[in-house]
Amino acid sequence: MREVTFEAGARRFVAGVGSGVILSKDGLVLTNAHVASPNAVEISITLPSLERVGARLVGWDHWTDLALIQLDLDEVKRRGLAIQPATFGDSEALYVGETVLAVGTPFGLTRTVTRGIISNNRRFEDTDSIRGYETGTFNTWLQTDAAINPGNSGGPLVTEDGRVVGINSRGYVGADNLGFAIPANIARRVVDELVRHGTITRSYIGLVPGTLQDLEHFYALALNTGVLIKDVDPGSPAARAGLRSGDILLAINGQKVDGRFPEQLPPIQNMIASLPVGSIVRLSIKRGGQTLEVPAVTEKLASRMGEEWAFERWGLSVRKVSRAFARENQLDDDTGVVVIGVQPGFPGAVAGLAAGDIITKIDQQPLAELETLKRIYQRFEAKPVSLLLLTMRDRRVSLYVLKP
Amino acid sequence: MSGFFRQHRLRAATLALVALLPLRAADLPDLFAERVRSCVTVEFLIETELERQPVTVLGTCIDAHGTIILPASAIGARVAVRQLKDIKVYRPNSSAAFTAEYLGQDVLTGWHFLRVEEKFRPELVPVTAWVRAGTPEPRLADEVWGIGLRGKDEDFRPYFLLSRVGLIQPMPQVTAVAASELGGPGLPVFNRDGALVGLTLNSFGQNFLMFSRRERGVPVVLVNVEESSVFLLANEVLPYLGRIPRNRSGRPLPWLGAFGLEPVDPEVARFLQLENQSALVVSEVLENSPAEKAGLKGHDIIVALDGRPLPRFKPDQVTGTYLEREIDRRQPGETLPLTVLRDNQRVDLKVTLGDEPKIIREAERKYFERLGFTVREFLYGDGIARRVKLANQAGVIVDFVKPNSPAAVGDLVADDWIREIDGREIKTYAEAVEALTAIEADPNRAEFVLLTSRGTETAVRRVRLK
Repeated sequence: MREVTFEAGARRFVAGVGSGVILSKDGLVLTNAHVASPNAVEISITLPSLERVGARLVGWDHWTDLALIQLDLDEVKRRGLAIQPATFGDSEALYVGETVLAVGTPFGLTRTVTRGIISNNRRFEDTDSIRGYETGTFNTWLQTDAAINPGNSGGPLVTEDGRVVGINSRGYVGADNLGFAIPANIARRVVDELVRHGTITRSYIGLVPGTLQDLEHFYALALNTGVLIKDVDPGSPAARAGLRSGDILLAINGQKVDGRFPEQLPPIQNMIASLPVGSIVRLSIKRGGQTLEVPAVTEKLASRMGEEWAFERWGLSVRKVSRAFARENQLDDDTGVVVIGVQPGFPGAVAGLAAGDIITKIDQQPLAELETLKRIYQRFEAKPVSLLLLTMRDRRVSLYVLKP
Repeated sequence: MSGFFRQHRLRAATLALVALLPLRAADLPDLFAERVRSCVTVEFLIETELERQPVTVLGTCIDAHGTIILPASAIGARVAVRQLKDIKVYRPNSSAAFTAEYLGQDVLTGWHFLRVEEKFRPELVPVTAWVRAGTPEPRLADEVWGIGLRGKDEDFRPYFLLSRVGLIQPMPQVTAVAASELGGPGLPVFNRDGALVGLTLNSFGQNFLMFSRRERGVPVVLVNVEESSVFLLANEVLPYLGRIPRNRSGRPLPWLGAFGLEPVDPEVARFLQLENQSALVVSEVLENSPAEKAGLKGHDIIVALDGRPLPRFKPDQVTGTYLEREIDRRQPGETLPLTVLRDNQRVDLKVTLGDEPKIIREAERKYFERLGFTVREFLYGDGIARRVKLANQAGVIVDFVKPNSPAAVGDLVADDWIREIDGREIKTYAEAVEALTAIEADPNRAEFVLLTSRGTETAVRRVRLK
């Protein structure tokens, strides 16, 4: 896999290796989102026969760290190659201690099989991002002691009878035999959506749930009832509906929820995410002695990672400020682009820009869209003139002149 | 009566010296021995919840009442006056300790002022005794010397340091950088004839490459904390010696209320057609501040003060310090006439400076030993840092968390903002203290629950006491 990166103030290409699972005769392959991303410019797949075939990205979902790619079927047919889809098993039926095998390409070592057991079948993992993209909010993980190393990513975790029960995704660096796989049942649902739409649309209301573990007494709740609302994103549907930290969420659209332990939270988050975007959701809330029914209107879930671009003559790479990024950084709105890299000696660096600066205006014009900046760049390429930039960094406003 | 005698004696001493000088100008050891009597070493403790942190700094005696000035950096901005304990003053070459009283910090110079006990005063000679009328300002390459002081184990033995002026520049105070170290930070600097020419500042950092067995040529910045090569010229020192704070808080503190005054670089100045001058971009105008009342706005570009263009300093950051000093040399109630550039138009504003809202070192605090943390009142500055409007400001701030205490185990950290205690909204500092005092006094309490904010995240945190 070769993909474009925008980090260093220029468009650069990096190569990586991962693993994957063939899903169907028509050449769909499932892998990790951190293996194949929309930035991929060239994907090639090595089949079990060691033959290499081209592929393209079909869909991508960083929230569950899954990506779907399509083998070049014409090439497969032309060369008379055989592909054999994997059979899936039921990941819900796994028991702790059950033997599983991981298949993949750790450190580029093709067709490596490692063996272990299911160490935990419902692990909650709180690492919330890979390369800046949010992940793990909506799924639990299968934990295994089968060796999972870099390069295993995207490969199958299979039972002894060869059924795929998980997609190996991550391991703890420096730990011994702590590997994690996305359960096959979750992966299959994601695949269905990606095949149909290429992306997954989720709903967002802005609740940050917390566990109630041992706090039931404090909130005067029966055991195994409700989810603690730890935080409410400012400006989110939940905030507009009047929810606040310390409220207890008892039910969603009348369906009772129980978030006593961390591993119970992803299914609840997924329940909210699965609601139609723009629909009214009835939240039953306990606040002090009162019980309230609060309606909220769902919004489309968006990542904190905006679109990235490199303006090579300026030696400047940027990422669009997203709503989530603006919220996390207490910005007034999502105007502007974040500098993610500058190339020394180029106009951006010479002007004094550095990674982390947020460019909000250029020649007095607010940068509401990345397209605005692209248009200004095109004009600059045709006819270079000095431009005045207004930036923010830690809430401090500075001016810079970008000179040809 | 005693005052009269003291002054009289001082004048006599000065006259005698003036008479002697022409004869013994070359006798540096004698000049040195006399001038050492203006220098002291000051020790004190900063008392925190758990420990007493010793501090040793150098100071200069400025008058016949035993007033001593210490550099701004001697005491951190967060340290409350009541945390200063056991102030002791030592003269060079002696182990005898004298007590001193803390008078406060002057906002303009940053100096901390002390006054030593009566019986020590005759031992000291004010630095003003070395002022010679008509002394020329030091120029490039002039010889200048000063005094260093060894540590307590050597009875603060004074030693002689000599250098030459390498550079003189406004920062914005006229500052000289000597070719090498010429005195302990905060001590006087003299010319060849023994006349006072300046006061040393903290040394500037110097760039070095560090080589070790493992790493080759790692860039490091080193700062010499015992000796300095940087000094303020006497004209930047003498006019301000009379700024002895009227109270220990150093109030009044003149206040503009604009946050993040960022200098423009010469390229930007040229782009804005501001030739040979500097300018400051206003990042934010603070709520209910004098700046807001005068109509200053975020993104305004301050181009002139009192009708005069902002001078250009090198480096650019000095421009911000320049404006701060122009504010600090005024009193609350005085006006600060500013000209700003707003949408390419020049706008004149008259800001009536205010008195700054309570600052961190003045905040009320209380430590709860059993719970393992200190709370302090929510200040205006906390509202700015957290972007909370005045109307929504309530609760208290965690000032300190004792390691491994119940509060620390409950994931409380310093600067957390406590908004509710046990489900009850906390409006004031008094309410918080009352609630926490009750919890601490109750031996049967197993836990308490806080609603806290940290950065942009709010969370319910439980502190177990059993």
